[in-house]
Parts: sequence; structure tokens; C-alpha cells
Amino acid sequence: MLRDTFRREAYLLRFSWAVQDFPQYVRLKRELRNELDATAAEVGMRQAIADLGHPRVLADGYLAELDRSMPRWNTGGWWAALTLGALVALGMAFGVGALTTLEQLGGGTTTATFLGATTTFTWTDDAISAGATLTWQFAVFLVLALLVPYLVGARFWRLWSTSRSLQRA
Amino acid sequence: MDEPRDPQLLKGVLPMLVLALLSERESYGYELVTRLHDSGLDDIAAGTVYPVLNRLERDGLISSRLVASTAGPARKYYLPTTTGTDQLWATARSWRQLSVTVEHVLERTPKEN
Repeated sequence: MLRDTFRREAYLLRFSWAVQDFPQYVRLKRELRNELDATAAEVGMRQAIADLGHPRVLADGYLAELDRSMPRWNTGGWWAALTLGALVALGMAFGVGALTTLEQLGGGTTTATFLGATTTFTWTDDAISAGATLTWQFAVFLVLALLVPYLVGARFWRLWSTSRSLQRA
Repeated sequence: MDEPRDPQLLKGVLPMLVLALLSERESYGYELVTRLHDSGLDDIAAGTVYPVLNRLERDGLISSRLVASTAGPARKYYLPTTTGTDQLWATARSWRQLSVTVEHVLERTPKEN
């Protein structure tokens, strides 16, 4: 029973990622879960899943039934999150590097501007600190650095795509 | 031995076949797949039929209702709407006309040895 649940959820996870372009895909996933459970009562979960085929192909089947391609907002979100993670890692590496340099120079205070943010690093016998001042340049950089990967990852231009039926006509 | 079926040919007529079978009797998804198998489409997968059902329901050509089952969870049964039935008749007429035309053309082609 637990194994069936795991099989079903693993399949649905792969399906939901592939079908995220579909409007209200969460509802679609819920319906598919019910359908799998109902079918599994007749033929078993393994067979029910096998009959659906590969989750990617099944998702393509649903997407092919749409009139036009849709943006992938979830993928855009992942792209933006990865970019944010990369920026945080970069900022931390910069900060650690600056503090280490200060330590090797015998301590003190220094100010550096990185990606539009002015940061003051302090290394004394009493305290080690880093404090940044948020500037509008940094705010603009951050918004653009997150917005661009979000929109590109989401393939936002699909919002203006023509319907497939019109393309065929 | 039967020729392997062209998936593109089947894709074009599958909505019509689904509507036709549902006109005979309302069915839930897996039952419909089984009925398609029994009708000779034994290579059709559930994963091909479910997106078609979803599309037909979204277009208002079929409606659904949940029916409690003695074995397992409630099942979603589908039935053509009035629009769906009209669509079936219209598509069936087109299909018959096309079928006659195709048959005439194929009759003129050289026969296979």
C-alpha cells in the first residue's frame, strides 16, 4: 500500500513538473490521482501507471490539446531562485574574502561597493562585522537580476503566442 | 498480419470515437479505454485517452459526474452533452464523406503484389 502511494506520487511529481504550462494543472493532477486510485482498484497501481505511459508523454498529450502554448511560471520561479542563490553565494564569497583580507592586514575597517551595494567590513579584536547600505542602484540590479531569469525561464513571450488552430489555418 | 496503426490518423478520429462510445453508454476513463480496446483499438493507451476526455469536457462536448464505487474511490463518469452529440453527428458525416473519397482514390492506385 505504501509502495503504491510512493509509486503514484513519484509519477505525479514528474507529471506535474512536465504539465506545469497547463492552466489549473494542480486540479488536473488531483483528477489524475483519483483516476489512478480508481484504476488501481481494478488492475493494481503498477498496471494503472504503466497504462498511462511516460509522465512526460502524458503531459505532452494534455498540452497538445491546448489551443496555444502557455508560459511556464514555475520554471521561471526556479530560474529566479537559482539566480538569487548564486547572488547570495557570490556576496558571501565577496564578504568572506574581504574580511579575510582585513584580518591578514592586521584588522581595521574598509568600505567596498559590490553589485551596487556599499558594504562596510570591520575586523577588530572585539568584533567582526559586515554592514551593507541598500542603494537604489542595488535595488534596480536585484530586481533586474531576478526578473530577467524569471521571465526568460517562464518563456513569457508565449503570452502573445497565436493559437495553434490559427497557425494551422 | 495487421499493419501498425499511424498514431496521427488515430489522433484525428479519437475524439469522434470517444464521443461515439460515450453516446452508447456513459463510462469512466479506464472503462472507456477498455471499450476502445474491445472495439479493435487494442494498442491505445490510457495516457492517450485521458487528455482527449479533458479536452472534450473543457469544450463542453461531454459532461462528467462522480459515481461512488464499491471497489476503490468514486469514479468520474462521462456522457456527451447535447452539443457533443451534435458534434458527433457532424463529425461522423464528414468522416463518411472523407472515407468515400479516400476509398475512391485508393481504388485507382495499383494493387500491391
